[in-house]
Amino acid sequence: MTISMTDGISRRTFLGAATGAWIVGSARPLFATTTLRTGALAFAGGTVHAAGYSLLRSEDGGATWRESIGPDRRLTALTVHPERPDRVIAALEGGGLAVSEYGGESWRKAGTGLPGATIDALATAAQQADTLYAAIAGDGLWRSEDAGESWEFVMDRPFLAEAERDVLSLAAVDLASGMGGIWLYAGTTAGLQRLPDCFCRWQDVQPGNALDALIEGGEAPEMAPLPAGEPVEEPVRALVSPAVAPGALYAALSSGIWTTTDAGVVWRKVNTLDAIALAVDPSDPLALVAATENGLTYSRDGGET
Amino acid sequence: MTLHLSIAAAALSSAAIAETTELRSLGEPVSPDQIQTGEALYAENCTSCHGENREGQPNWRRRLETGRMPAPPQDGTGHTYTHSDADLFAMTKFGIGAVVPGYESDMPAFEGVLADPEIPAILAFLKANWPEGKRRYQAALPSMTPLPDG
Repeated sequence: MTISMTDGISRRTFLGAATGAWIVGSARPLFATTTLRTGALAFAGGTVHAAGYSLLRSEDGGATWRESIGPDRRLTALTVHPERPDRVIAALEGGGLAVSEYGGESWRKAGTGLPGATIDALATAAQQADTLYAAIAGDGLWRSEDAGESWEFVMDRPFLAEAERDVLSLAAVDLASGMGGIWLYAGTTAGLQRLPDCFCRWQDVQPGNALDALIEGGEAPEMAPLPAGEPVEEPVRALVSPAVAPGALYAALSSGIWTTTDAGVVWRKVNTLDAIALAVDPSDPLALVAATENGLTYSRDGGET
Repeated sequence: MTLHLSIAAAALSSAAIAETTELRSLGEPVSPDQIQTGEALYAENCTSCHGENREGQPNWRRRLETGRMPAPPQDGTGHTYTHSDADLFAMTKFGIGAVVPGYESDMPAFEGVLADPEIPAILAFLKANWPEGKRRYQAALPSMTPLPDG
């Protein structure tokens, strides 16, 4: 069923999007999104999608953007098919999902089985494009194995600092969990967690796989965890990992954008950008798009500049 | 009488599985006697949480008020088959924290309660009653190696 057809497609060209303007942090945004209020970003191949009150897409690194209006509610989370850039799955403010097969030009409802609460994060499984994950506020983690049509509950929320924590961001990371599958990384309201896709338990990031804990007497590896925000909790608003380099992740916190190249054992802050959403090019670990309150910015060097 | 018959039937079925699928527990071939021993040990030590029919606690994917997770099923519908025998041995003997440091669980450590050979017997009983696909999945895990000495 079509929720709403776009009532107008506009092509906007932003002359300020020349290479000199693609600077994170210090320069003016690549694209000022005062009306979009970007809530989510995603890369599909070389296409960037930006979602808010509408859906924007750019196929030329942000030089030009195409805007589609609808569905009829603000989009809170986004995921895309890795090989079909026109297929977009969006979470709707207040609950529910919409799927577009045409880059946002028309939408249909999906999400049978999901509770009617806002989806804070969506992710597509690595190597399994029809397997999707949705993190629902106040509830937990849901999985679809039919590209978003039907869903099942798979795991409660992480329990951190004596409370259940909402998952705000999700990334399926194509690294072996040691349990026959891979890891799901989650940015919560109180720090980073990860979960094997067998859904047995949320846990902190540790070096290696779970079996390492059985080895006694080894030297403790160096660790520099992503700050959980002591004394004030620091939500992990966005979390992305490029398919071509699954050990690399970027995280958006209020303190800035952080990165790791060893699957989350050692993190470092690369800038102080107050980003709301992130997307990384699946084929280029250094091509990073960030959304702030002021608009979108693009970095070609992993957020350094 | 019915219960005894059903246990006997289950043991017979498990024995057949052990003989036909080369079921192993901690790297060693499983015998029908071991499965029967494991079944009795499971009934004595595990049913209070994991259920008489290995069905786990109700709503086992939803957290308890304590923040801990309920006991999952052991009949192949949970996630036990995604763990190697070495992990399962360690979790049973030492508690979940032996595999995931700092993780809080209601699962007690059975060190001092179960002798080391009794744990693989329970595993043998459980695995013999998993669906074939789950047994194959677990057997293919890269970490399916015997527990180191000690």
